[in-house]
Amino acid sequence: MNWNFQLGIHPDADQLSLFVEGAATSREHERMLAHLAECAECRKAVFFMQPQEETQRAARTPVKGWIWGRLLPVGLPAAALACGLVAVLVHIWNRDSALRNPQQVASLRKPEVHLPPTTVAPSTDSEVQRSGTARGAAPASNLSGHANLSSPKSLNLPEAGGQAAAKVAAPETIAAGLSANAPVGRAGGSAGGVIGGISPQLPLNGRNFTNLQQIPAPSGAQDAASQNSLAKKKDLGGLMIEQASGQDKALAGVSGRITDRTGAAISGVSVFVRDAVGKTRETTTSADGSFNLTGLPAGRYELTATANGFKTIEQSIELNPSQLAMMEPVLDVGKVSETVEVTSAAAQLQTESANVGQVITGQVVAEIPGVGRDVGVPSGLPVTATVSHGKRLISLDNAGNLFLSRNRGKKWKKINPQWTGKAVRIELTPAYSSEATAKPKNETLGKANEAAVFLLTTDSGTVWTSKDGAHWRKQ
Amino acid sequence: MDTPPANINQTEPSGAEDCTASVAKGAAVEMELGPESRLLPEMLGEELSQAAGAELIELSKAEFAEALETIGAKDNFGLDPGKQPNERQRELFWRALHLEELAIARGCALGRESAWRRFLAQYREPLTRAAVEMTGSVALGEELASALYSELFGLTEREGKRWSPLLRYSGRGSLMGWLRAILAQRRVNQYRKIGRETELGEIEPAARVSEQIELKQLEDLRAAIKMTLTAASAEERFVLSAYYLDQHTLHEISRVLRVHEATVSRKLKRATEHLRKQLLRTLRERGLSRRAAEEALGIDPRDVDMNLRRLLQDSEGGPNSNKERQE
Repeated sequence: MNWNFQLGIHPDADQLSLFVEGAATSREHERMLAHLAECAECRKAVFFMQPQEETQRAARTPVKGWIWGRLLPVGLPAAALACGLVAVLVHIWNRDSALRNPQQVASLRKPEVHLPPTTVAPSTDSEVQRSGTARGAAPASNLSGHANLSSPKSLNLPEAGGQAAAKVAAPETIAAGLSANAPVGRAGGSAGGVIGGISPQLPLNGRNFTNLQQIPAPSGAQDAASQNSLAKKKDLGGLMIEQASGQDKALAGVSGRITDRTGAAISGVSVFVRDAVGKTRETTTSADGSFNLTGLPAGRYELTATANGFKTIEQSIELNPSQLAMMEPVLDVGKVSETVEVTSAAAQLQTESANVGQVITGQVVAEIPGVGRDVGVPSGLPVTATVSHGKRLISLDNAGNLFLSRNRGKKWKKINPQWTGKAVRIELTPAYSSEATAKPKNETLGKANEAAVFLLTTDSGTVWTSKDGAHWRKQ
Repeated sequence: MDTPPANINQTEPSGAEDCTASVAKGAAVEMELGPESRLLPEMLGEELSQAAGAELIELSKAEFAEALETIGAKDNFGLDPGKQPNERQRELFWRALHLEELAIARGCALGRESAWRRFLAQYREPLTRAAVEMTGSVALGEELASALYSELFGLTEREGKRWSPLLRYSGRGSLMGWLRAILAQRRVNQYRKIGRETELGEIEPAARVSEQIELKQLEDLRAAIKMTLTAASAEERFVLSAYYLDQHTLHEISRVLRVHEATVSRKLKRATEHLRKQLLRTLRERGLSRRAAEEALGIDPRDVDMNLRRLLQDSEGGPNSNKERQE
């Protein structure tokens, strides 16, 4: 080997192969390039060493740089037009999905019991699926499970059809949704106590779901849940690992096809993968029963497939970097009213029963971490009282700080006290709620009296009033 | 325009003769390594020899250890020359080698029967296939492969001794990659021996007539381009020569450089623009007006492409030899 490329001396086969295989050190690489730049023969050898494929590409690719210059006058408006079109489409799509209200969804979901094994598509029609997934986008991350079915709004059913449909069509989701929400619904209230027969009309707002995320499952409950889920696991089709063709080596994916016992493809199955920290990704199987989830960081995942009329299956999968796991799960037809336990963060609560009205003991409620600070005000301190009026929420933490949210608790703003001393009590005008300790969740404040007034009492006993929660006046 | 043949005569080929010379040198290095200069700890030597399966191919631990020592000394354990490798660096270097393939190559070079059996089982078919790919013909490919076999078998003698190019395999890259390299070198030799005249004649003979007209202009540029090229980076020069001189596609170049085609395209464009700017500057420094300089180069980028190709061809001899002498 001679790295002093003197006249007439070429790198040997070893150095050439190191260069071509990319195994050369940066110095060797640099020197080889310098030699190749000037030595036509070694250049030729290097190109000879490339495997076959290149010979098929006989056409010489021109340098494209200057072509862009010529295309620019045409290309630029075209690109702008395309952008506009996409924006319009996105807007239309969003409006479309927003228009579908929950009642519509609930009534569309027909009760189905004992599907015959040959059924290919479950009862859910594509309309429902589409709106379900579109709406489910926000809550999906919270429930980290069967989110598209257990959207909070679907609980707000009309008395007659809705409840029945909910009971039969998707009891498991009701159970999950309710059990998850019930304790939070009363979280601001006094500790303990028994809530009997929570009605499905319980209005829930986004804030409750935000809280759900913050509740870590007590270890005991989680163990039980995982045991249950183990018992529930079905034998899935063989797991094959294929090399993904993607460029990004760090990411992995899973794809496959879901069938029933007869081998018929099931469309519209919700497929979720959940990673170790509870982040979920979901997709729905297409008409041929296939699904594809890519761009997942490598690691261990729980894969869940749920479809109306079929038993939910779970499978844990290990995704290696740049590999595409192939799965072919088989779903068993299940009784629709069968209880399916939900292994989301809400599993700590009673989910064994599909009954809508259920009893949650004070013990359970008291055990839930996060009760009392469910509103999650910016100070991070426990909230002593919360009152709401429409979208407006006012919370008081135990240090006497007052926070106002104009969007149901999504964003909070601290209110600078105009009063002296510490605020100890907040309430809404007596007509609506004088109990500062109970969050007036059930109120249909959309139609509420405009004249609702917030009252604040300081530790010195003075009372301040405000109509909007931001501007206060001494009474 | 008649410099290229001269150029090829100048840079002597990577032929068997060269290999012979370098192998002899390699053997000399081995001779010099006495037992006192042993750097490989016995434990490590044993472990590596086991990992390589050296015994299975009738290669003793001592022989394998000697091979490891030679390779380490030859490449200074992958470090820049002049740097003193420490024990850890040496161990890392040895462990990173393709040990099994190295053992096979050594075994073959030393004429061990079982090494040859494994070599043939593993590499015969891929080697023939690679040769067929390179030559684009089954007959030529098989001929090339069998010629290489006889060479690898050590049928050639040097100073009364059988030797095989396999002795030169370092194990840093894969054995198959090394075989491809040897094959490519032999193929280039063949090319040179058989088709030098035809090959050179292929460079657009029709274009040459029209080029004559502009030859005077090009004369002015020749010195400028020599200067500019000397200043360009190795990679830029490689891309320029591979694209303009050898007329490889961007895709082919991208595979050699192990980057995306678009990256090569960008690099080429940058190199071309840089070259053009430098040339313009040089020409204007020599008293040409801006306009005259631009005219000499051609304003249309395509003209620049064309001109660059001719300029590179014309001037290749110049910076080439300068460079090599410097190094």
